[in-house]
Amino acid sequence: MGAQLRRYRFVVPYLLLAPGLLWLAVYYVYPAVQMFIASFWSGSLSQGYTFSLSNWTTYTAALDRYQEQFIRSIVFAGLATLLTFAISFPLAYTIAFRGGRYKNLLLFLVIAPFFTSFLLRVISWRTILGDDGLLLGPIKGAGLVPEDFRLLATPLAVITGIAYNFLPFMTLPIYVSLEKIDRRLLEAGQDLYASPFMTFRKVTFPLALPGIFAGTLLTFIPAMGDYVNAELLGQTPSTRMIGNVIQSRFLTNNDYPTAAALSFILMAGILVSVAVYARLLGTEELTSGAV
Amino acid sequence: MIRRPRFAAPQEEQMSEHDPILGRRITRRTMLQGTALAGVGAFLAACGTSGQSAAPTPGPSAQPTVAPTDAATAPPTEKPKPSDVLNFANWPLYIDQDEGSPPKSPTLEQFTAKYGTKVNYAEAVNDNDQFFGTIQPPLQAGQDTGWDLVVLTDWMASRVIRLGWVETIDTANTPNFTANESDVYKGVPWDPKDNLRAPWQSGMTGLGFDESVTGALTSLASLWTADPRWKGRVWMLSEMRDTVGLTLLKMGKKPEDVTEAEATAAFAEITKAVDAGIVRSFLGNDYKEGLVKGDLVLGTAWSGDIIQAQLEKDTLKFVIPDEGGVLWTDNMLIPKGAQHKYTAELMIDWVYQPAIAAQIAAYVQYVSPVKGAKEAIAASTDPEVAALATNPLMFPDDATLAKVHIFRALTEEEEKSFNDQFSTVMGN
Amino acid sequence: MTAPTLEPRAAAFRPGVGRRLGRWLSRYGLFVYTGLAIVYLMLPIAIMILFSFNKPVSKSNFAWVQFSLDAWLNPFGALGLESAVLASLRIAFVSTLVATILGTLIGLALTRYTFRGRGATNLFIFLPMATPEIVLGASLLTMFVSIGQPRNELTILIAHIMFNISYVVVTVRARLTGFPRHLEEAAMDLGATEWVTFWKVTFPLIFPGIMAAALLAFSLSIDDFVITNFTAGQTVTFPMYIYGSYRIGVPVQVNVIGTIIFLTAVGAVVVSTILQRRDRAA
Repeated sequence: MGAQLRRYRFVVPYLLLAPGLLWLAVYYVYPAVQMFIASFWSGSLSQGYTFSLSNWTTYTAALDRYQEQFIRSIVFAGLATLLTFAISFPLAYTIAFRGGRYKNLLLFLVIAPFFTSFLLRVISWRTILGDDGLLLGPIKGAGLVPEDFRLLATPLAVITGIAYNFLPFMTLPIYVSLEKIDRRLLEAGQDLYASPFMTFRKVTFPLALPGIFAGTLLTFIPAMGDYVNAELLGQTPSTRMIGNVIQSRFLTNNDYPTAAALSFILMAGILVSVAVYARLLGTEELTSGAV
Repeated sequence: MIRRPRFAAPQEEQMSEHDPILGRRITRRTMLQGTALAGVGAFLAACGTSGQSAAPTPGPSAQPTVAPTDAATAPPTEKPKPSDVLNFANWPLYIDQDEGSPPKSPTLEQFTAKYGTKVNYAEAVNDNDQFFGTIQPPLQAGQDTGWDLVVLTDWMASRVIRLGWVETIDTANTPNFTANESDVYKGVPWDPKDNLRAPWQSGMTGLGFDESVTGALTSLASLWTADPRWKGRVWMLSEMRDTVGLTLLKMGKKPEDVTEAEATAAFAEITKAVDAGIVRSFLGNDYKEGLVKGDLVLGTAWSGDIIQAQLEKDTLKFVIPDEGGVLWTDNMLIPKGAQHKYTAELMIDWVYQPAIAAQIAAYVQYVSPVKGAKEAIAASTDPEVAALATNPLMFPDDATLAKVHIFRALTEEEEKSFNDQFSTVMGN
Repeated sequence: MTAPTLEPRAAAFRPGVGRRLGRWLSRYGLFVYTGLAIVYLMLPIAIMILFSFNKPVSKSNFAWVQFSLDAWLNPFGALGLESAVLASLRIAFVSTLVATILGTLIGLALTRYTFRGRGATNLFIFLPMATPEIVLGASLLTMFVSIGQPRNELTILIAHIMFNISYVVVTVRARLTGFPRHLEEAAMDLGATEWVTFWKVTFPLIFPGIMAAALLAFSLSIDDFVITNFTAGQTVTFPMYIYGSYRIGVPVQVNVIGTIIFLTAVGAVVVSTILQRRDRAA
């Protein structure tokens, strides 16, 4: 009886894991494998596809043809992440250290935009940033900028659009990290004659790193694959990101091999940057829930 | 083709004093009602009985005839019945709509009244390639797509036909179509017997612009001129054949016999306009919004759209450029394996009645392929509607037709190559 | 608010102002900044709500014309909107249900048991969250195409459950890590079996966490566009409806629905907070 119970206890976690992991295995891992295979296809939808390892050239061709969009995606995503960080950190800091009773309310206000449809938010920005819209109309009327100045259809619109969308993702993890900081450490810093700035630099900031790490990842990774902002706010060919290319290859051109290859290159690029980033920051709290 | 005109004309009487444009829109509503009444009236007047093939008599000059059902020659099998449901996929705003909320289509309502079929009308076609991407897998697997009737632009229609993915229309069930199809559409190489597709509407691609900003323009060359009045506020269509077609015309070539080399040169030419900062985006339906908003002031546009948009901004103009324009046609097709083929044929036949065609065309304001539609519109009691009969963009005269070109059919490799090059130009 | 400064003969020069401003900024600067940030965050939402009361003259709802309740009185007045919203709700409910169950089970396993492969499982759960949505959607599409599965509401459902599992796991796990095991041990000391302990002690305590995860999953599902776009086939969900209509002009009713969703979510959070406070007080 005791042995049976022990065996039973041993099996329980696996039983609990099984359904969910099975689902992920079938609908996450298998599709990824399938896509990997598809990147080695040649042919077309109407004529059928054939698999051949010699089609690895699809990867090099894709990299070569779309390097501009890849680089642009990295730049846009990077700038957007920096911008998000610049906006979010003071915000998270204020809520964590000066929030007091209103902490939860402020956090709620930060998450609230999340409760509306992402597309509606982007479309609202389109309305706000229109050439003669709510923002530019009065400014142009006052003569502060030339008539043909525009915010839409520029890289700036795309970057700020992406940054806006990920503000909650950056603010929350940083807040969680900052909130966990034992206030006595800060007091200790001051007791040891450190200026507020030094305390911040030597104590607060390093302790916030896990949150910053999580936040920047949660921003940078989706931003790399974004295509809605580029399409609705960017509009011009010179703001197209790799996400737009993948989407058009899949849905418009039905060019599955190239699209699959691009997706894998994107994933690989992300994984590599994450690994490098983790090394740099020296923290590996990726998975243990800095989120 | 993409983008469809139609923006439901709004409402309140009290608006009419404020704005001449809105006042006109009120008249539009009465126009819609008038046309609908005309359509229903004509239909009822013509034949009250149950025969499917009866058609209302149109105006004097057209010659559509009533093709009688010949019971004697019908096959001795059981006569098919209209089904309960018809699944119809079309472009947005491509059928007449009333003012209701949600809006209903008088044409479809009348069809339901006659045959008892509920029409599941979905504006599911936003882009030829994307829609094709949704029906290709089932068609490839020999399965039903879920649609009984779809509307695709001629180049895509010819591809679907070439792949053998359409049902042959039983013309015994579509006498109106056979009798009233305008001759210019008959006998095309990819549908020699006129029984694989039925044209829905035609349209022309030319220059659309806001005259109050750009002045009166007539030449495609303006799209390549970095004039401060419109630099950076120009769009080009994301539909490859339209944009490349017009570019070829600007370069003095003809879209009907374009070669690979000419096409490549055209792509380079388009890229020049993009790099010079003149062209802002490649758009589909959304160019209309940009025009009305003022973000865009000049570009390649579709005729019906501009007529529509003029109601919102009366300084908008459409012209067929001096160098020429592009003519295209959207076609009804019955995908292979459609469950309700007979009812689909009934629908094709339905919309080829001149009165119904007039009802649709008066709303959509594209070129109707139905003989007798023009006369039906001219005979309308609403002066606004009747005036449309002389609109050369809706009923092009020979002079207009002489200026428009049809892009030639491409082979599969050419299509892939052109699409690829165009994607690069668009940044994708 | 003015800091006491030593300002002999301050009238002649104004260091006081500068320093006062400095102090003011250091005291209140952050609050001003936070206020501005909140305004910035809320701006598009305010626009969305505002324009739901608009009555545009054209199909595009981009300029304010006049105040009107028309769209509110007839929120499904746009063609196809009703079926899109219903599809979104159906998918959200079912995917939330399934994903919450699957994810909670995983969360329980990860936090309360040690077993071989725990670290690897942690990493594995993290992967879908780290994959860009476009890659998730594209790979599902590739798989469905290669096995000949037509895309419809079912495939959307499958996709939503898949990406929701990870988020549920992370949320539940966060709640479970601080869980007071001694309560369970006390229950078992008092003779309750594991099963009974779970349902009478554990579950009620982790329920708020599960609800939070469910709420998160629900809002992610209702709002998802990219993955849905790839796996939808001919089905139209609410975000897809918006995407399809933005070219011609987003109907005002879409703003109305968006506002309703927003207010419902806000309401849900408010209600749950009140309930929590009451729980704590009781």
